[in-house]
Amino acid sequence: MVAKMFKNVLTRRRLLGSGAAVAGSAAAAAILPKSAFAADKVVKIGFLAPLTGPVAAWGKPGLDGCLIWGEWINAAGGINIGGEAHAVEFVAYDNEYDPAKARTGATKLIREDGVKFIMMLGGDTWPGAQPVADRTGMLFSTLLPSDLSPDTTTLIAPCEVHPIYNVTGVEWLADNMPELKTAVMCAQDDALGLPSVATYLAAFEAAGIEMQDDPLLFDPATTDFAPVVTRLISGNPDIVCLDTCYADYVHPICEQLFQQGYGGQVISCTADFYQQIVAKTSEEFMEGFVFQFPDFDDPALNDESINFQMPNEFYAEYASRYGADQWGAVSWEYASIMDLWKAGAEKAGSAEPDAVLAAMKEGGSGLHAFGEADWWGKDLFGIDNALVGNWPIVVIEGGKATIKEFRSIPEWYAKHGELLKKHMSAYGQMWDQRT
Amino acid sequence: MVELLAQTGLNALYAASYTALVAVGLVLIFGVMGVINFAHGELFMLGAYAIVAVYADWNLPYLVAVAVGMAFVGIVGLGMERAFFRPLRDNPLGGLVASIGFLMILQALASMGFGVRMEHVPPVTQDVIVISEKVRLPVFRLAVILAAVVLLASLWAFLTKTRFGWALRASAQDPEAAALQGISINQTARIAMFIGAALAGVAGALTAPLISVNPHMGHSVIVTAFIVIIVGGIGSLEGAVIVAVAYAFVHTFVTTFFDGVIADIVGLLLMLVVLIVKPTGLFGSTDRA
Repeated sequence: MVAKMFKNVLTRRRLLGSGAAVAGSAAAAAILPKSAFAADKVVKIGFLAPLTGPVAAWGKPGLDGCLIWGEWINAAGGINIGGEAHAVEFVAYDNEYDPAKARTGATKLIREDGVKFIMMLGGDTWPGAQPVADRTGMLFSTLLPSDLSPDTTTLIAPCEVHPIYNVTGVEWLADNMPELKTAVMCAQDDALGLPSVATYLAAFEAAGIEMQDDPLLFDPATTDFAPVVTRLISGNPDIVCLDTCYADYVHPICEQLFQQGYGGQVISCTADFYQQIVAKTSEEFMEGFVFQFPDFDDPALNDESINFQMPNEFYAEYASRYGADQWGAVSWEYASIMDLWKAGAEKAGSAEPDAVLAAMKEGGSGLHAFGEADWWGKDLFGIDNALVGNWPIVVIEGGKATIKEFRSIPEWYAKHGELLKKHMSAYGQMWDQRT
Repeated sequence: MVELLAQTGLNALYAASYTALVAVGLVLIFGVMGVINFAHGELFMLGAYAIVAVYADWNLPYLVAVAVGMAFVGIVGLGMERAFFRPLRDNPLGGLVASIGFLMILQALASMGFGVRMEHVPPVTQDVIVISEKVRLPVFRLAVILAAVVLLASLWAFLTKTRFGWALRASAQDPEAAALQGISINQTARIAMFIGAALAGVAGALTAPLISVNPHMGHSVIVTAFIVIIVGGIGSLEGAVIVAVAYAFVHTFVTTFFDGVIADIVGLLLMLVVLIVKPTGLFGSTDRA
């Protein structure tokens, strides 16, 4: 372990990564507009997400991405607020996906660190931080718009519209593989799993795909997924849907599907570290696996409609520092939220939460990572605080994630919104049903 | 339906195998030392990380990694006995509190040494015994089941056929009488702790390629192990094995035919019923209750 600890401190990859970081910063500095900032002009951003524990895969990679983003922005001259350049500094607090720790962390970040904006994963941890947001008026972001409600006007979901974007994957499957007629689904029984279950049920119903059985819910403490998989595939479904299972579940479930001889279609919200799933199963088994999160070296992200800055370079930098197999769903997301916050702060000429929020939402639209999008959600969340537009459908081909298409979430909702509301209501996930 | 029942039975056998290893180790430690080792799940976790280090990172043979993991965790157990449990022998809550503290230390060390993300352990073998289209037994799962049977049979032989085993059982039944017969309490405590920890370690090592290895993986295992030893009777090795098998079958079948959340509720309800009807557990004695 001592050797491994030492290895964690200084490895060849890290050494090379440091070189790449310097090169990346230099490249960013050359490309982005440059201005000088005084050493004391620093704007602090809070990062309040799970950095340890089973949900760390949706926190820690995001912080890693933010650190790259911050280095690039600072190297390029910082954030111009009110005519003065400010360096950006991230202050992280590990909430371990625990609401009580989220509350403590939010208070600490605001009172002790003086942050101007707090980024969260959300989900089970949002109820912990919500009283702090309501009391202080601090601007918070979540990756899960299912946290939104009119009760807290300073909570926004400017990047990920989980779980609503999952409808695009099902719609794409139905259009491209009309022979698939039946589906089953499993999910962990928590604040991430249940709204996603409702969304997939609506998407399957809209696509005319029949559910063979009720969604199979499992305890988040489950370690052996053989019984879950045995039940799932007992009726020979055309599609197995893994809902929004954490990476710790997606991997062993896929391995079990492989070992129990399932040969049908698999769809999932995420497939973090999918290279490891390929290694545990086979390239053939994973061929055609549909999910929603691209690798950012995908050429499709170089389209001019994409607003994420230098996606391929960002991916290369991330891969050189942490390894390509450590790229996950959230590696880019918090950084893309920072793009929006930076634009809002520069537009407002202020880092104060209310001014930035007003600037971000001005005109009712914004530049989402995957294209122009609208502030949306009143119908579903009671407030238009989710930035919603297009979302990619990603398919594993030859062992590599590939963007097949971008589809519009609002267009789907315009056609099938009532279905989504029906299933969200059935699972108690509408904003006015949540406690 | 027959195929579904058969596949579920095979799944249950695998779950019973590693649950029994963990529960028997926990019972052995309690039986001889009177300590409820809350860090037992983290010993399971250490065994799994031994596989990550020796098999996945250093590319040594899997069986070598299992042996290293078993020995390493056994030695950690010896260290726990000497550093915590022996000095706190006369303090009924001392050992329990110390084990909770050590649990957190082990989790922190694992996070520092390996990071917080789950570790990737390459499959040892992907071979599957195809019994029918719907009934399949992966060879590796079969190996885990057989290994558990061999280890538990070896433990039974050790306890019933060797002088060290007799000494352990004597200490478990009546420590004072055993000491009067010249049996070293320290020696039996060391042996019990080494074996108990090694069993948890080998369970973690055997299952590491099949589960998500992370610093917090011991939590769910220890909860199940506690249910098993409470229902089986704290201090009863036979009870731990029998109830581990029974619990694994009930939990697996309920998960398959209802869902995993209901299975957890059923497991806890069974524990509640047993505690009401027979507070010492199904195979427990009043001495240890």
